Amino acid sequence: MNYISSYCHISSASCSVNGKIINTFNTDSLDEIISELYTSLGIKYSKFHKMDELSKVGFIGTELIKNSFPEIESYGENDIALLFSNQRSSAKTDIKFLDSYKDGGIPSPSLFVYTLPNILIGEISIRNKWFGENMFTISKNFDTEYFTNYCNILLNKNAEAALCGWVNVDDNKIEAFFFFVTKKDLKQLNLPLESKILSGLYTAS
Amino acid sequence: MEDLKEKLKEQIIDRLNLEDVNVTDFSDDMPLFGGGLGLDSIDALELIVLLENDYGIELANPEEGKEIFDTINSLADYIQKNRK
Repeated sequence: MNYISSYCHISSASCSVNGKIINTFNTDSLDEIISELYTSLGIKYSKFHKMDELSKVGFIGTELIKNSFPEIESYGENDIALLFSNQRSSAKTDIKFLDSYKDGGIPSPSLFVYTLPNILIGEISIRNKWFGENMFTISKNFDTEYFTNYCNILLNKNAEAALCGWVNVDDNKIEAFFFFVTKKDLKQLNLPLESKILSGLYTAS
Repeated sequence: MEDLKEKLKEQIIDRLNLEDVNVTDFSDDMPLFGGGLGLDSIDALELIVLLENDYGIELANPEEGKEIFDTINSLADYIQKNRK
């Protein structure tokens, strides 16, 4: 049996870690929400500002999980699998990229970099030097069976833990859910990795 | 020339999303790459786009880039000589 040792929700209204709200937002601007969250982390990481919104939210969620679960630092560089999914791939950035050259302009190289959703995993890997198994899938809805089954396979094979995320950034909405899966119930949250429990945590956002 | 250098610094900060950097943070002879600005290969491509979009300069030989993008001084000098 594997366990959820930390989880985090980020929406356009609030941000919570392990069920406890840590930020609420009084703006419709995604830029402002993301900026507020980044500032609240108290870190300086110049590459953050170059990322697209999808990667920024993935980055912030990962930092919040790390803050709530300092034991994460004890894992080796190949121990943590990264398992992410979303609804619309990198569609928002794809459109921005198209717009960058549709009127005869030159395509933006820095936008092009983010026209694949798995760059989000790349940014997390670079930041944390995590080089374990990774996968980014596109799914209509948050698929608890998929995450549960895939995590169990990974943790029974090559991984000691898994950072998972369902990360959606649309035109005016953020909807993201992150959870960290370990082989033991290290934080005593009593949250075995089961589809029903995962579904309950997700909808509790 | 001084105005061009100041404008270039502002453009680089804007186009490369260097949010934590101010115009006063880099001097005219400071290396743009491999130094404190933390620029990478994608930034180099963005600078090539900036040259073409804003100054009408198409870099015919990418090998020249290393020399042109060495510092604000070298970049401003190249633009001054080649702008259209």
